[in-house]
Amino acid sequence: MTTTVVKGLNENGIRVNSMDFEKLVRQSAKSSPDLILESYGQHNIGIRLEREGGLNLTVKGPSGQRLGCMGMPGTVITCEGATSDDVGYLNIGAEITVLGDATNGACNAMANGKVFIAGSIGARGLTMTKWNPNYEKPELWVLGSTGDSFAEFNCGGIGIVCGIDPKNPDNVLGYRPCVGMVGGTIYFRGDIDNSFPETNAKLTDPDDSQWQWLQENLAGFLKRINRPDLLKSLNVREEWHMLLTVTPQERALMWSGPMPMAEFRNNHWNKAFGGDPLRDLAPGLDRSLIDTIVTGEFRRKKPYWANCESAAPCTYYCPIHIPTVDRLRLIREGRIDEAYEMLLRYTPLPASVCGAVCPNLCMDNCSRQGVDDSIDVQVLGQSVNSIKAPVPTDPLGKKVAIIGGGPAGMNVAWQLALNGIQADIFEQDSQIGGKLAQVIPWERLSQAIWDQEIKRFLDTPNININLDVAMTTEKFTELQKEYDYVVIAVGTHEPRRIPFPGNDKVITALDFLKAAKSDSPMEVGKEVIVIGAGNVGCDVACEAYRLGAEKVTLIDIQKPLAFGQEKEAAEALGAQFRWPVITEKVTDEGLLTKDGDLIPAQTVIISIGDVPALSFLPETVETITVGGASWITTDKAHVTSSDKVLAVGDVEKPGLATNALGAGKTAAEYIVAACKGIDWKPFEKEVIPQLALTITHYVPEEIGTTEQNQADRCLSCAACRDCHLCETICPTGAISRRDLESNFLQSGQPGSENSYEYISDDTKCIACGFCADTCPCGIWTMNAF
Amino acid sequence: MVSTRSISVTPGSLTYSDLPWIIEHREDRCTLCGQCTSVCPKEAIHLSHMRQRVPKLDVFSKKRGSNYRNFTGIRQRTTMANSCIGCGMCSMVCPNDAIIAVPGTNENRTLFFENQKGEPNKRGGRRNVQGTTLLDRIMFNRISMLTDPALDAGRHEFSLTTTLGRVLSPEVFLDRKINGGWIPPTREIFPFVIGSMSFGALSPNMWLGLLQGVAYCNEVLGIPVVMCTGEGGCPPWVLRSPYLKYIILQIASGYFGWDEIIRAIPEMQCDPAAIEIKYGQGAKPGDGGLLMWYKVSKLIARLRGVPEGVDLPSPPVHQTLYSIEESVMKMIQTLSTAFNHKVPVYPKISASTSAKSVLNNLVRNPYAAGLMIDGIDGGTGAAYNVSLDATGHPVASCIRECYLDLAAQGMQNEIPIFAAGGIGKNGNVAQNGMALIMLGASGVHIGKYIMQATAGCLGNEKNRCNVCNVGICPKGITSQNPKLYRRLDPDLVAERVADTFMSIKTEVKKIMAPLGRSQSLPIGMADALGIADKDAAERLEIKYVC
Repeated sequence: MTTTVVKGLNENGIRVNSMDFEKLVRQSAKSSPDLILESYGQHNIGIRLEREGGLNLTVKGPSGQRLGCMGMPGTVITCEGATSDDVGYLNIGAEITVLGDATNGACNAMANGKVFIAGSIGARGLTMTKWNPNYEKPELWVLGSTGDSFAEFNCGGIGIVCGIDPKNPDNVLGYRPCVGMVGGTIYFRGDIDNSFPETNAKLTDPDDSQWQWLQENLAGFLKRINRPDLLKSLNVREEWHMLLTVTPQERALMWSGPMPMAEFRNNHWNKAFGGDPLRDLAPGLDRSLIDTIVTGEFRRKKPYWANCESAAPCTYYCPIHIPTVDRLRLIREGRIDEAYEMLLRYTPLPASVCGAVCPNLCMDNCSRQGVDDSIDVQVLGQSVNSIKAPVPTDPLGKKVAIIGGGPAGMNVAWQLALNGIQADIFEQDSQIGGKLAQVIPWERLSQAIWDQEIKRFLDTPNININLDVAMTTEKFTELQKEYDYVVIAVGTHEPRRIPFPGNDKVITALDFLKAAKSDSPMEVGKEVIVIGAGNVGCDVACEAYRLGAEKVTLIDIQKPLAFGQEKEAAEALGAQFRWPVITEKVTDEGLLTKDGDLIPAQTVIISIGDVPALSFLPETVETITVGGASWITTDKAHVTSSDKVLAVGDVEKPGLATNALGAGKTAAEYIVAACKGIDWKPFEKEVIPQLALTITHYVPEEIGTTEQNQADRCLSCAACRDCHLCETICPTGAISRRDLESNFLQSGQPGSENSYEYISDDTKCIACGFCADTCPCGIWTMNAF
Repeated sequence: MVSTRSISVTPGSLTYSDLPWIIEHREDRCTLCGQCTSVCPKEAIHLSHMRQRVPKLDVFSKKRGSNYRNFTGIRQRTTMANSCIGCGMCSMVCPNDAIIAVPGTNENRTLFFENQKGEPNKRGGRRNVQGTTLLDRIMFNRISMLTDPALDAGRHEFSLTTTLGRVLSPEVFLDRKINGGWIPPTREIFPFVIGSMSFGALSPNMWLGLLQGVAYCNEVLGIPVVMCTGEGGCPPWVLRSPYLKYIILQIASGYFGWDEIIRAIPEMQCDPAAIEIKYGQGAKPGDGGLLMWYKVSKLIARLRGVPEGVDLPSPPVHQTLYSIEESVMKMIQTLSTAFNHKVPVYPKISASTSAKSVLNNLVRNPYAAGLMIDGIDGGTGAAYNVSLDATGHPVASCIRECYLDLAAQGMQNEIPIFAAGGIGKNGNVAQNGMALIMLGASGVHIGKYIMQATAGCLGNEKNRCNVCNVGICPKGITSQNPKLYRRLDPDLVAERVADTFMSIKTEVKKIMAPLGRSQSLPIGMADALGIADKDAAERLEIKYVC
């Protein structure tokens, strides 16, 4: 074995530049495994140098930067003094010993090999190291201390800092070691300033295997740097500590801040306040967390089962407020008798009015029209024709005089009678029924039906009829004394006339129709003119045709008001409507218009309405004059200015037969309540909005001809139909049905008693509103709370 | 098909495609759990039962007629009161991804009907202008590469605070130091301040969550974040707590809550960070504050000293304002005196072409501690839409002009300017803030961004949600209804405040390090800025780059 010396100065004592020096060294290494390099500050000494069987370089002179740079396995470099920056730079296997200090950047990017420093190192030692698992981990041994920024971005290097004669005894690892460290291990002995980032490194003591590794390798290091004497003093386990890498997995488990928020709240925040910071502003305010989907008191809305709290359109728009919806429910339930009785408790004339003459306002707004067509209510009215009257309740010992036996007076009497109050009717005509009996043609109200209903009425206990009574002021005063209440229901029996020339030749519609229905109808010419083309005018026209007229002309000063079956009947018989026509005069030839036309006619009938005949009225009962006639003024309960006198029907203002029946019922209810000493309540339910219903549950079908058909088609607006859809749709199972005590009465109205209810469990309901969105009847509503 | 809720067509009738947000519901995925309709803040959606007619159209069959198919779906209402606001709560609670609100692509017809009963639309949020803002487009160009040592944001230590308060010139400072004169108070604070959002505009859980987060930033993270109360007072226990030092108390023309503040002064453990006198707000300049009656709960009424359930407008101007000179002078002096001249007092104004006049006035006012300028993109809890969208001045050129004016007088280091309005509008909070700082701001205030980042505020510039004014905030951020604000966990808000400021801090370092700055904020360092827009570059006196 030979040792070759390579000199860093040439024969002239001039420094060999680093490039030439490297060539010389490389050349020498080919022939000799042991080189002594008398360097003179050359850089990159030992770079990428290897020799089969190993190579020993001893650096005797001053070394430049990057000693052992890119050192290869098997190469051993010993620098007999201190060295400059970046010793072991990108080292991949060389063993480099520096017998003095090393400056900055020692072992930067070293991937394998070992570097032994007998002194201390400068800043940024052991940075950017690597570790390829096919090789040993790189090692940096430092006897003294390190400068700042040690082991930054260290990936695999093992650093051992012994803390012997450190540059700064208070801090052997310098400021901020291990920033960005992702691997490797740091052993150190001595004090540090704990400025390492806790998210990158953790401070521990060596465990048994780590301590064993240190012991096994420490002697070798000390031997390399010729300090075996230190072994004993360095062999104190308690003096050694370690900085280990925090793995990303560990870091993910740490909260991103150094203290959990709950700990901060409990140990600092709450203590500083000594309680809730709002406790003075809002004592007891609960700010604790609730969920987004909540039940119970945390909901912003809650469902409410508003059964029968609104009125179905049929009930609302019917002047008598007949709850057709309830009646149809009873039919669906097979309670036919109750259904019939219920209707009779509203009107004594269901077949004649509901089933025949009434234009059925109830059905104008029937919700079923949203599906196909409204319920056929005439079928329902007619079916009650021959049903017996309900049994009256026990007598109350009161009596009421009713002046006028038309539909208004009849319903007053009927309602009072059923409630055990004696009702005495005083009628000026020789029959009861008013205009229904006197003027409605039999074509529109069949006699058989009418007679049946009149018979039922007359057979009812507590009703007494006095016919052919001419009312006078004296008689009226007498009745007031004799009876608890007097109800005026005289209607309008004074026809209006117009004082044009020849008006004495004109017949009034009232007289004409009354006669037409009697045994001695008036004769009519071939050509007939009816002045006033309303529905009564149409009735007149029909009767005129029946009595032999060939041409009937209805004239009006405005667009005719006639509608419905009356108009259709007149048109079907050939009646002509002419408007606007103003009558100039009536002659034997006919009617001369203001425009000078002559409409030929042998008979002229005027049909422009009737007004009340009130000559009997005492001054205590106030009237109002409208259109030249006096009408009695009343309040909601139909009480006049005289508190025991009521007025109902056309005498208040002209209306339909059903308006008269409705007024009669209301007035009677007021009297019954007053007699019983209880509060009278008017009908005050609001009509249910169409949008509250869910009509798409129903599909279009034939109207049908039976009561059962109608019952099946009814949408049961505002009245629960017990279909269980709410219970079915409720996503949380909050809704259930509950049976009620059998004698529980929901509203006190016949037929509306409820034996069940649906309830929503507050502890389950999340206020989704599905019940309200699904309920076919519009019962469930969502109320804010 | 027949809808359960078919309505008649009126002049105000709208259909789905007319609405700003359209509910898309997939019946094939819906499990009818009811959570979407339960959570919807607007009752905009409901369960719909629909019926489809299926005619029997078989040529060879003699039987005619129709069959019917009934089905259900979640549908939206088209009435103005119940039109979808796009908050997306329905999607958030849907277990099956069956429902989502998507922006309508048709023109927004509701705009034409947001004037019911003659009252124009009011809302919360920010100017509804989408897309990249000018601040977003500013680049930091002057990178220290090999010319001078670049810095490493992860390794180097940075000083990131800014000075709030009047800094005396060295001569004056020395003179007063020696002769015992008054030295104006200053605070070293983190340059990103949580802007003024009142206790009232924000729910109790949100407001306290923010303060808890701010306290955490200061005491645990060492980031000296401060927050401004806005005009609504401060809970009395907070005034007497050690956390008051992180709070800028705002006083404005409504003077809400100031009786409690004055009452607390003798018992304060520490001074507040500063006093902000609000003269204007960027979102609605020339218009006053507004807390609508929906939000004046018992708690808020008690704190503000007003009746419950009333509208609380602050007038656009202070009732005692007769001139800038006079009003600003007396307000600043009064408030400075109230805190024994130990708390910085500064005014907040909306950005405007007259901002420079105010600034120059303040330069001559020895008590003025700074100026806060709020630009048109600022947020608000309640304002008229027209004020939000169309009234105001962008903050960038206003700040730049003011700063250059100070620089021309050599005063740029003596009176700080703070900027606000749209910072972080598109999420680029650190970049936006640093751009403004380099244009001349000493720091920035962020409000809406904080609500979005820390509490998940759903509002955006597509007018999503933006119902802060009516107190139905589905996240519980701006509601005074405990059924809503108890959804919000103050601890989580506080954690997000910490996350947000840690992250801003890192990003600020990432911006400063390449510029070679670490020891002071690059206030006014406009030579580092560039923009690929010649006009903007010229106006802002920064480099045009492309």
